[in-house]
Amino acid sequence: MQDKRLKYLLVVPAVLVVFATAIWPLIDSLRLSFTVGRLTRPNFPQAYIGLENYNWAFFDEPAFWNSVTVTSIYTIVTVALTTLIALGLAMLLAPGGRLRSGVQTLLILPFAMSPALIGVSFRFMFNPEFGLFDAFFGLLFPPLADISWLSDPVLAFVVCVIADVWGWIPFLTLVLIGGLASIPRDTIEAAQVDGAGGWRVFKDVTLPQLMPVLAVVLILKAIFSLKTFDQVYMLTNGGPGTATQTLSHYIYFNGFKYGQIGYSASVAWLMVIPMLVLTYFYAKFVFRKD
Amino acid sequence: MARVSLTNITKRWGDFIGVDNQSLEINDKEFLVLLGPSGCGKTTTMRMIAGLEEPTAGEIRIGDRVVNDDLPKDRDVAMVFQNYGLYPHMTIFDNIAYPLKVRGTPKAEVAPRVEKAAAQVELTEFLHRKPKALSGGQRQRVALARAIVRTPKVFLMDEPLSNLDAKLRVTMRAELKHLSRQLQITTVYVTHDQIEAMTLADRVAVMKNGVIQQLGTPDEIYNDPANLFVAGFIGSPAMNLINGSVKDGMFVTTGGTSLVKVGISDRDAVVLGVRAEDVEIHQPGEGDIDLKVYAYENTGESVMLTVQFGQQRVIARGDRHLRMDMDDTVGLRLNPDHLYLFDPASENRIGNG
Ligand SMILES: Nc1ncnc2c1ncn2[C@@H]1O[C@H](COP(=O)(O)OP(=O)(O)OP(=O)(O)O)[C@@H](O)[C@H]1O
Ligand SMILES: [Mg+2]
Repeated sequence: MQDKRLKYLLVVPAVLVVFATAIWPLIDSLRLSFTVGRLTRPNFPQAYIGLENYNWAFFDEPAFWNSVTVTSIYTIVTVALTTLIALGLAMLLAPGGRLRSGVQTLLILPFAMSPALIGVSFRFMFNPEFGLFDAFFGLLFPPLADISWLSDPVLAFVVCVIADVWGWIPFLTLVLIGGLASIPRDTIEAAQVDGAGGWRVFKDVTLPQLMPVLAVVLILKAIFSLKTFDQVYMLTNGGPGTATQTLSHYIYFNGFKYGQIGYSASVAWLMVIPMLVLTYFYAKFVFRKD
Repeated sequence: MARVSLTNITKRWGDFIGVDNQSLEINDKEFLVLLGPSGCGKTTTMRMIAGLEEPTAGEIRIGDRVVNDDLPKDRDVAMVFQNYGLYPHMTIFDNIAYPLKVRGTPKAEVAPRVEKAAAQVELTEFLHRKPKALSGGQRQRVALARAIVRTPKVFLMDEPLSNLDAKLRVTMRAELKHLSRQLQITTVYVTHDQIEAMTLADRVAVMKNGVIQQLGTPDEIYNDPANLFVAGFIGSPAMNLINGSVKDGMFVTTGGTSLVKVGISDRDAVVLGVRAEDVEIHQPGEGDIDLKVYAYENTGESVMLTVQFGQQRVIARGDRHLRMDMDDTVGLRLNPDHLYLFDPASENRIGNG
């Protein structure tokens, strides 16, 4: 057999697997998004209704827009907080930083935990009766004692953000340490001798050279924030009310709690749009030439 | 405009000593060259002056000020890094302009000064490029331009010409010499190229293993070496060093050949040093000793004659019109005015011929 054909034959199994596990469900979900698909009734999916599901989400469902708002704020806040804190930590921990030590390996620990586990443990820690945070805050500011964090809409959102940021900082810190370590020391020293103070060195020399890595970090974190599900599910289950209901959670609820697969599929496809945009930029930075 | 003084400076990393308790006074407007083999502590010394490396012990002054606790940015020095340290994300123009911008030079002044510095290192046509689009030698010139664009208290130059081709190096050397005369700024210049050291320096500090072996004018370093290391390190070809002893006022080689009259009292172990140009080539019988030619090399500007007696080889430099063949016999005479005697144990110089 000719090499030319053999090479295609060899990748066929991989292509098939990807097709069966990723491409096909994607296409099928697109098909379902144009149907009335109720799991609770026979003859699934029941009927094709064109863009009716999309119409419904856009014009008749405040809950959809609520989850869009929650997800947007959640994404912006967690991306900003995680990246900023991770960058600060990375500056301290990178070679030549002030805190260089063996703690780097420990850093990866929170990241090794599953988001669902993080959700459960934070739920315990914020429990108003026996929670760690509750005891802590109660001691420092007595007025904060016995607040039930997770039943207040704003506080519940804050707790979700804290849990997310806590879980993601280590990984982003490690990536940024790598980025910082690859910046030639000479360039930073040259700037110091040229007369730049700490902040100017950072702004003029460190940051521009870190930019490609930072962009990847931002986009990657945005993608993961957009699709946040497990933590929210374990921590607040979208509540109180729908105060912490992210899009993924909304999709899950409609699809598997209420059985509205067709409608869920259409919302999921709406979520694909921002994902595609982010993925495009991600790929652009990762595979950038030069 | 400032003098730089290092007092009992030591730099240690764990057990390793990079610079060992050295003191050095660099005068105002002086061009001081640090010369020595790789790893002897030249860059380390310079980095301590710049504030990029903290001395383990000792005091550094620039002008009247003790700068040990000053940040690099407050020391008002300009440095050419051995590995250039160019900002890869900036154009050449912005690279050269950076020290001016950071120090708040008025906008209108920046461009003309950058262009002038670029012209001095023949870079004018590359100003819009990024560093990665330049050759090694061109990058090095950018680093040089970034230093000379400003008038700092002190210039620190770490092998700024090492990556230039031979021709450009000669041009840039002259340019630097001219520039330093013009600017009159205290300069510390690191090199391991002796010609650079000899031609540029007001004074040379020869270093080895973190210790300054000799500090002096190029003339002193060349004609009055303090020890065996300096004698052997300076000069090309290296000074001839012949082992032997002194008996009855004569230097006798280990092989037993009585070579030349010297001015020190009898001694068992002595090293005689003589430069190739101080070994005169005569007809057989007309020198101190007749020897066979071991190798003959014509470099164009002169000829190099290698002769061998016993275990020792001696190189003599002759007139460029001299023609010889291997195994010809010549009479050699060592110029008695330019002989150096060293103690092989301490390696210190103990006298002249
Ligand atoms: N950060 C460091 N940690 C440990 N040892 C170091 C460090 N920096 C330099 N050294 C050692 O100190 C010695 C002097 O180094 P330095 O860079 O000053 O040499 P140099 O004279 O500039 O040599 P070259 O001509 O090769 O540039 C070397 O042996 C080097 O290995
Ligand atoms: Mg060096």
